[in-house]
Amino acid sequence: MECRVLSIQSHVVRGYVGNKSASFPLQLLGFEVDSINSVQFSNHTGYSHWKGQVLTADELHVLYEGIKLNNVHHYDYVLTGYTRDTSFLEMVVDIVQELKRANPNLVYVCDPVLGDHGSMVRLLIIRVPCCMCVHAVMDLLHAMGPDTVVITSSDLPSRLGDRFLVSLGSQRHVRPDGSRTTQRVRLEVPKVDAVFVGTGDLFAAMLLAWTHHYPTDLKTACEKTFSVMHHVIQRTISYAHELAGPGRRPSPPQLELRMVQSKADIEDPAIVTEATVIS
Amino acid sequence: MECRVLSIQSHVVRGYVGNKSATFPLQVLGFEVDSINSVQFSNHTGYGHWKGQVLTAEELNVLYEGIKLNNVNHYDYILTGYSRDISFLVTVVDIIKELKKANPSLVYVCDPVMGDQGAMVSSYPHTSSYAKWQPLLLFCDIIFHRLLTGRKINTEEDAIEVMDLLHKMGPETVVLTSTDLPSKQGDQFLVALGSQKIKKPDGTNTDQKICMDIPKVDAVFVGTGDLFAALMLAWTHQHPKDLKTACEKTVSVMHHVIKRTITYANEMAGPGKRPTPAQLELRMVQSKADIENPAIVVEAKVLQKSSQ
Repeated sequence: MECRVLSIQSHVVRGYVGNKSASFPLQLLGFEVDSINSVQFSNHTGYSHWKGQVLTADELHVLYEGIKLNNVHHYDYVLTGYTRDTSFLEMVVDIVQELKRANPNLVYVCDPVLGDHGSMVRLLIIRVPCCMCVHAVMDLLHAMGPDTVVITSSDLPSRLGDRFLVSLGSQRHVRPDGSRTTQRVRLEVPKVDAVFVGTGDLFAAMLLAWTHHYPTDLKTACEKTFSVMHHVIQRTISYAHELAGPGRRPSPPQLELRMVQSKADIEDPAIVTEATVIS
Repeated sequence: MECRVLSIQSHVVRGYVGNKSATFPLQVLGFEVDSINSVQFSNHTGYGHWKGQVLTAEELNVLYEGIKLNNVNHYDYILTGYSRDISFLVTVVDIIKELKKANPSLVYVCDPVMGDQGAMVSSYPHTSSYAKWQPLLLFCDIIFHRLLTGRKINTEEDAIEVMDLLHKMGPETVVLTSTDLPSKQGDQFLVALGSQKIKKPDGTNTDQKICMDIPKVDAVFVGTGDLFAALMLAWTHQHPKDLKTACEKTVSVMHHVIKRTITYANEMAGPGKRPTPAQLELRMVQSKADIENPAIVVEAKVLQKSSQ
């Protein structure tokens, strides 16, 4: 498999968020990952202290220029995360537009999307906090451009009870005969009693990987993605509680994802969540 | 295994040098890797073009401060590469000293030199500070060792003497990754040597010295030195009293990665054409299985076991 991802996310010296969360799993699954670090911090901002430096829009441009001058600006995927800085985001958009000209099949995985850049987004992950008609939401998002939409958590009641939340996915295809079809799936995902950082970044990376391996089978792609998340999170919770000791709440350092230890699960996840095809 | 490495090396957006070269293999082998990127460049400097930014000594210090304030400045290994900037190097040394106070068993793996930069190293003014670092694991380039020990290596006896001299400066493990010694297998091979000090159960010291013939490769690779250092860290950790096995595994992984890379590069370039730097990037991700469990392709010879 020769598949190259450009990932523009944060870097932390210690722990797993942003590029630290996305790179290793993608590399394990055989993807070439080029990574632009939008910041370099000591650790994520959920710790008591954090220190570091941010990349400016200009510096981002300079790095991209280097790639372009060598004529190696050819990517199959671009993966970006959250950014507060509008000028940085604008530079990202310019870069993505150019990359799309170099490769019209480029898939831009964005978690989350901001405003009017939806037109170029093919794969989108969104967290919808309020209770809306999910079909309507997903159709609205498709209308903005993305062929694949995943709502990672909603307030829909789960049929398995209140220890579960409902996630949904929707993927549009064009059949060989030219007609359009949409596959919609629904998953009941066990809630976890902890706050994790970096899980969203891992999720986006895994969804990229599994939709790549199963391009017309959103059901399987979602099952694998959610299953990997489950294994990593379970391992992390167990370890965190072990470190913290009985009756004590684990600290942010203790709750860092057990990424390296989850290698086997990332490579070949045992399926723990079955997705239901709902249309 | 709960083993944490702090790696202070360069980062390239594309390709495999510095932290890009070291991190994935170490993670694949189960190490937690904290990485401080000393620079962020688009790609390594062997391409037609390269662009990016460097971390100042002050910024390095700020990052370390963040780690320290959270009381997570506890490492089993620290891995650093090449740095041109003296003030940066001085800050690295200060950090290592502090980490050693936090964990006296810390092992500092230092690969101080890139071969082609020999001219720069020979004018490097702070050579004596290397000695003061007391690195426990030291990888020497042929030029660097000459600088430190003042000795040239013409014979195996010379090599042994040089390694003993380097031991006296602190490191318990010394590896000469390439020498000009003639190989018994002919001129398609180069000779590498290693020496490790071991404490016997009865308290006396002994050392294991080994020698390997390594097939030469007809290409210039970038990032292989960084990969080598990371692998030596990993395999000496897994085989702490068995330098022979550690070296055999390390050199074998290097062989598989390089072979795969050459094949791919030549395929990309086409018949009769020289591959470009971009095409010669190490096939790191594709070599995962070899990194995890390398088929041994080179046997190290144990030279001598002597008591001191």
